[in-house]
Amino acid sequence: MEAGAMSAGAAVHDEHHHGPPPANRSSRVEPQLLGMLLFIISEIMVFGAFFTAYFFIRVVAGDQWFPVRGHALPVAVAAFNTAILLSSSLTMHWAQTSIKNGNRFGLKAGILSTFLLGSTFLFVQINEYIHIGFAPHDFAQASVFFGLTGLHGAHVFIGLTLLAMVTVRSWRGHYTPAEHRGVEVPGIYWHFVDIMWVVVYTSVYVL
Amino acid sequence: MLNPLRSEDEAFRALLWVVGVAAVIIAIVLIARALF
Repeated sequence: MEAGAMSAGAAVHDEHHHGPPPANRSSRVEPQLLGMLLFIISEIMVFGAFFTAYFFIRVVAGDQWFPVRGHALPVAVAAFNTAILLSSSLTMHWAQTSIKNGNRFGLKAGILSTFLLGSTFLFVQINEYIHIGFAPHDFAQASVFFGLTGLHGAHVFIGLTLLAMVTVRSWRGHYTPAEHRGVEVPGIYWHFVDIMWVVVYTSVYVL
Repeated sequence: MLNPLRSEDEAFRALLWVVGVAAVIIAIVLIARALF
């Protein structure tokens, strides 16, 4: 009935549907998931470009990595920040698992904790930038450092924006065990932000 | 086959996998640097 009505160009009046007409679906993948999938793939390409610059400086050009000109990276602070971000993924998973099982307390506590932990990570990172002692334009290694960590920080900010919306909606009583895509999709994004941080931390701070 | 883009659960497991692999790589590199 839907296909026939659309091909005829007639407006479909469905008393149960609110908002604009449903978008055309040409993929078996759910639109929301497909959108996040394509977005994350493009993000992997962006990070790939920045890692290429890192690889070029460190491997191809053979330049010395940190410490450079007396400046060392705060590995311990970044390790603490890594623990915070990994914990936020745990709480995110807790929130998602909770709503799947109809546990509203777990959803609210989990998503709020995730948001607070993510905010703490960003706050610590900004504080690190203020006290690190060098600027992006000082030397090539600094440019790559700020480029990679700054790009990641921007993604954390985007994630926090999504999480803020999910937190507000969770506390307003939205989401059900059957319909919680609004928790799942930001959750996938958040775990990817965490995965990228593990890669950035390992290559920039540790190795 | 783990598809981290299929669900939050798989994305979380992919994260755990990446953390494990990173820990192994770090351990190998640091031990190699200490020995050679």
